[in-house]
Amino acid sequence: MTLLFALAVGVIFGSGAYLLLKPDLFRITLGIVLIANAANLALVTSGRERGASPISATAGEAVSDPVVQALAITAIVIGFAVTALLLSLAYRIYVSARTVDLDELSSAEALRAEEEDSRELSV
Amino acid sequence: MTIVLPLAISWVGAVALALVDGRRPAAGWAAVAVLAASFVATAVLAGLVLADGPRQMVAGGWAPGVGIVLRADALGVLFALVSSGALLVALVHQVLDGVASRAFGALVLFLATGLNGLFITGDVFNFYVFFELSMLASYILSCYGDKARQLSAGFIFAVVNLLGSFLFLLAVAAIYHVTGTLEMEAVAQRIAEVEANAVILVAIAFFVAFGIKLGLFPFHFWLPTVYVSSTPAVAAILSGAVANIGSYGLLRFGAGILPVELELGATVLLVLGTASIVYGAVQALSRRTAPEVLAYSAIGQAGYVLIAIGIGGPVGYGAAVVYAIANAISKTLLFVSTEIRGPLVAAAFAIGAFSVAGLPPTAGFFGKLELFRAGVDEQSVALVALVFVGGALSFVYMLQLYQHDFWTGEGRHAASAGGRQAASAGGESRLALRLVSFFVACLVVALGLWPQPLLAAGQEAARALGAMPA
Repeated sequence: MTLLFALAVGVIFGSGAYLLLKPDLFRITLGIVLIANAANLALVTSGRERGASPISATAGEAVSDPVVQALAITAIVIGFAVTALLLSLAYRIYVSARTVDLDELSSAEALRAEEEDSRELSV
Repeated sequence: MTIVLPLAISWVGAVALALVDGRRPAAGWAAVAVLAASFVATAVLAGLVLADGPRQMVAGGWAPGVGIVLRADALGVLFALVSSGALLVALVHQVLDGVASRAFGALVLFLATGLNGLFITGDVFNFYVFFELSMLASYILSCYGDKARQLSAGFIFAVVNLLGSFLFLLAVAAIYHVTGTLEMEAVAQRIAEVEANAVILVAIAFFVAFGIKLGLFPFHFWLPTVYVSSTPAVAAILSGAVANIGSYGLLRFGAGILPVELELGATVLLVLGTASIVYGAVQALSRRTAPEVLAYSAIGQAGYVLIAIGIGGPVGYGAAVVYAIANAISKTLLFVSTEIRGPLVAAAFAIGAFSVAGLPPTAGFFGKLELFRAGVDEQSVALVALVFVGGALSFVYMLQLYQHDFWTGEGRHAASAGGRQAASAGGESRLALRLVSFFVACLVVALGLWPQPLLAAGQEAARALGAMPA
């Protein structure tokens, strides 16, 4: 079971890392979302014992580790906040530069820097 | 109670100030007042901890081992104090200059909360939560200015550092899985019995996570873009306060929790540290604008901290603490001085430059001196030579920058055209702004003239690390 989870974490993390390498702000954001969820899954998997849910368990029954679930829900909330922040940033970049392509963004930036340089030279 | 006070003050203040318009000067000064109160509370806590040893409390009155442990020891309070100080200087600078965004003050306070929290927490997962709180605030701060350039730099900053954060989270999951606890002291005790292969993987994940924060050589690629495009106050915050997370994390998790693995990796640390120093210095030499030179210099300075940690032992850790602190103060000084001009500022900038180069009588001199001592103790000629050559190179690039920005006409002109602060009064910045820089410069000199508190605190911090059971 742990092996299955480990493989799933690996595949999700790998897909996220692949998306991170794309020159597109939304794909990068999705990559971070996947990596965040790989980490959440790893947190849940890292529990020390498995069994019934800690709330409804009867005496003597094996109880699943509640600590990792508390950790995972905290991490999910943080991941949510981070995703919201990245999406709003991507939107702001789109509004000001009219593109979400990193290559276009950096070439526009180089152009701007060149303009500034030539202005300075002419002064 | 004293242990949560710095945290509580900045937290409550941040939430309250998030509701008001931060562009009004009154709101800005309120943020300064809250941060100053939190700074004073941190200083009181630091005084108590340095005098009578670490303080501990368990949140919510739970039994130890169940509740989250907050533990203030010399290492933590020292970094908390320096970071709050750097934030305070940057915030005062920005408020004097005029805040252009609604949330600036509140964000700085959230950042202070996160930093105070992560420096005094004794729980690995709680560290992650505060770490994420402070990083979220700094992602937004790095976009301050709202130009396309800053936004895309902020995006890159956020993505790269988030990757580091999630690697850290994976390592936390692994730590819990192999030791069954999240409390730092208990982890440090139990980790010795865990299978070595698993622990080495965890140690590498921690190293990469903090290496990204600190901007060490192979993980540095995000750093120059962000430092160059952000405004001076934000750059001062990033290099004076946020970068401390990296140094502190390497010390706490490397030297405090995984000392055996740290020793195994000492060679890697020394090699990467050397690469950082050389790369940072050479790149800084070839740049001309202040933010660029300082950004690459930051990569080089991170290398010194790494080398000190690689040397290890009480002397090495002490040197790392002293170096990190001296560097944080001088970088804060340099960044807040980059865009202001006029009498006092040039002197302040020169003092900062001397401190980075490691000339007496500045705080940076004692950072370098401690490193020298660690190198001599280790009987390593290469190390001593490296520190010397690195210092000489930083002297050259800092003086080059000083000459270009403060002596020749073009630098002055560029500053008054670029910085709106300088444009106001015929190339001269407001006196208050200059006084802030000058005050920090006086602090750097004071620490250089009377270094005993800094050195003693560094030793105390190294002892606190050694006190954690191996």
